[in-house]
Amino acid sequence: MLASGAVEAAQALAELTELSSQVDRAVVLRGDGSVLASTGDDATAESLGRSALELVAAAFELRSTPEEVTRVEVELADGAVFVLCEGGRTIAATTGPQPTAGLVVCDLRTCLESIDEAKPRRQRKSKAEDS
Amino acid sequence: MRKLIRLAVLVGVTVWAWRLFVARRGPQERACVAYGDGSSLVLEPGSPGFERLAATARSVLGS
Repeated sequence: MLASGAVEAAQALAELTELSSQVDRAVVLRGDGSVLASTGDDATAESLGRSALELVAAAFELRSTPEEVTRVEVELADGAVFVLCEGGRTIAATTGPQPTAGLVVCDLRTCLESIDEAKPRRQRKSKAEDS
Repeated sequence: MRKLIRLAVLVGVTVWAWRLFVARRGPQERACVAYGDGSSLVLEPGSPGFERLAATARSVLGS
């Protein structure tokens, strides 16, 4: 059985792929790098998650002074990879060639925020049910 | 005056054709990294940083 956080993340990813036609695959990672939810099978999620962490690590090493990486975008002829790190979670997504980068980033940010918002709402709801 | 207009039209058509056939042809590859302090880096093809990020991205896009 999935933990409530995983259910919320899976729901948020389903909404993301429904709303954003540009996103092909997406994965949400926990703070420790493990997969919280994804749009594809486990192997695909692991692969995308691992690559997202590699991109963040490579981006971290680009600067001489250490600073937290919040976003990595790599646009290539075959497609693009986007990684966003916010609130202890990481979301990574792939798109086709020449995506509208701003829109994709906005959609990914909305997806991460919807996971964070769903948690307190659920907690409030369960507290109300208890009383 | 007519020569001037003709020249302006010719320059306009040349710029439009160059943008349509030459500038668009090459894939517009780039990488962008943003940091917690608000700073960001844009990496162009050919730079070591871009090639490192691109290699990882290609492995995901190819799979």
